[in-house]
Amino acid sequence: MKRRTISIFLSLVLCLSLLSACGSTTDAPANGSNRDIAFEETRQEVQAEGSDSTTSENEDSASDAESGKNDSASDKAQPSQPERNADENSLSAEAPDFSLSSIAEYTDKPYIAVNGNVPYFTESELTDQSYEYYSDLDALGRCGTACASIGQDLMPTESRGSIGMVKPTGWHTVRYDDLVDGKYLYNRCHLIGYQLTGENANTKNLITGTRYLNIEGMLPFENMVADYVKETGNHVMYRVTPIFEGDNLLANGVLMEGYSVEDKGAGVCYCVYAYNVQPGVEIDCATGESKLADSAQQEEQKTATVTPTPSLEPEKQEPATGSEASQADYILNTNTKKFHYPTCSSVNDMKEKNKQEFFGTRDEAISNGYSPCGRCKP
Amino acid sequence: MIVITCLDQKNGMMFNQRRQSQDCVLREHVAELVANAPLWMNHYSACQFDTESIPNLNIDDAFLQEAAQGEYCFVEDAPLAPFEKWVERIVIFRWDRTYPADRYFDLQLGSGQWHLVDTSEFAGHSHVLITMEVYEKK
Repeated sequence: MKRRTISIFLSLVLCLSLLSACGSTTDAPANGSNRDIAFEETRQEVQAEGSDSTTSENEDSASDAESGKNDSASDKAQPSQPERNADENSLSAEAPDFSLSSIAEYTDKPYIAVNGNVPYFTESELTDQSYEYYSDLDALGRCGTACASIGQDLMPTESRGSIGMVKPTGWHTVRYDDLVDGKYLYNRCHLIGYQLTGENANTKNLITGTRYLNIEGMLPFENMVADYVKETGNHVMYRVTPIFEGDNLLANGVLMEGYSVEDKGAGVCYCVYAYNVQPGVEIDCATGESKLADSAQQEEQKTATVTPTPSLEPEKQEPATGSEASQADYILNTNTKKFHYPTCSSVNDMKEKNKQEFFGTRDEAISNGYSPCGRCKP
Repeated sequence: MIVITCLDQKNGMMFNQRRQSQDCVLREHVAELVANAPLWMNHYSACQFDTESIPNLNIDDAFLQEAAQGEYCFVEDAPLAPFEKWVERIVIFRWDRTYPADRYFDLQLGSGQWHLVDTSEFAGHSHVLITMEVYEKK
């Protein structure tokens, strides 16, 4: 009886705290005007041509307006709970005040600047003490904001392991051989790339993202931050927020923010939205299902090799890709001097000591003395 | 003038008015390459160099107008097309990765005016591989 009473009491407390959390979610547009601080731009030389003026926070997204979906809460950045590896006093648990409606529809660039390329961090969130945290999954199993103060001490010292066992929301194993570099539409995208914090198969750090989002949208920023931290020894505040519209299982895109702490943004300062799209493919973000886009069909009259997740072992079916450079483009056999797609069946037969992940293009693999596998024909 | 610049795999130079990347080993290579010849750069670029260690360094925000024949210019954030007729040689340090970019190298190396005369590779501090490409006018 006593246990039952305690159980009911705890349930009540949980309900109350959930209600309280809902109330704290704001729908205010993110225009940066009411931020806690204005970031000090320490870059002195303003270039004549300036940065790419792709910022379009004042343009309403046509797709958003037309969708008619409920965007009152869930297309906003999800408030998140601090999780681990962090000093309780320095946690940055707040998701940025950002709305999908401020984002222009995708045209031809993998990312666009948001808020004038100034991140939404408040001054109290900036810290030169390394930490990382990953939000708990929501009721639909979706990731929330991931945030870190990236320092050299967080960076991995060994190669990334397998992440094939993780099935983020919206996951489908689908191939478009003629359209997608790497053939597979979806990658498991690290919110905070493995090269930055060494998080491997953390389900709170992996979303379903297109190859395009992964390689063209997110990886360049991870590379830039990784280099900066390694070269300067400084810290970069790094936050990635997946943006889900309504109850969609697939994120429309991710908001990525970076700010170098010790030099007050002189080295790294950006705030961009990267689109979770794949040119030539139509994607239903509600479920993650996809089909060849009409335009691509008309142009090439090619039939995509669409393989709904079959009964085959997932680890073998999916590309050993994912976010950032931690997910290799090819697997090298250092003994035979052949290179393979990560999905090639020969990779499974390879001795571990001969197996090496390779990040780069086909030409680079060849220039390094490797020849393409005759089986998977990379 | 001889242009020295750093580009990523897509000829990107800068993003949001900040350099894409840097490497301390690359800076040593630049110092060796220039040796005692005059090296020009603007104040932004000078921030990443140990200016005391380069004997003939000239820092000027209008450096592309100032540099004379045979003198080196380290270019990170300036358009080069207006100065192309004065460029004798281009030394590109090519990063082995891709970074965000909103400013790109604006000379057309494949236009037939330039040809690749030398390529060499070295390991950087934070880059596994940096490729040095040298182009000269035909």
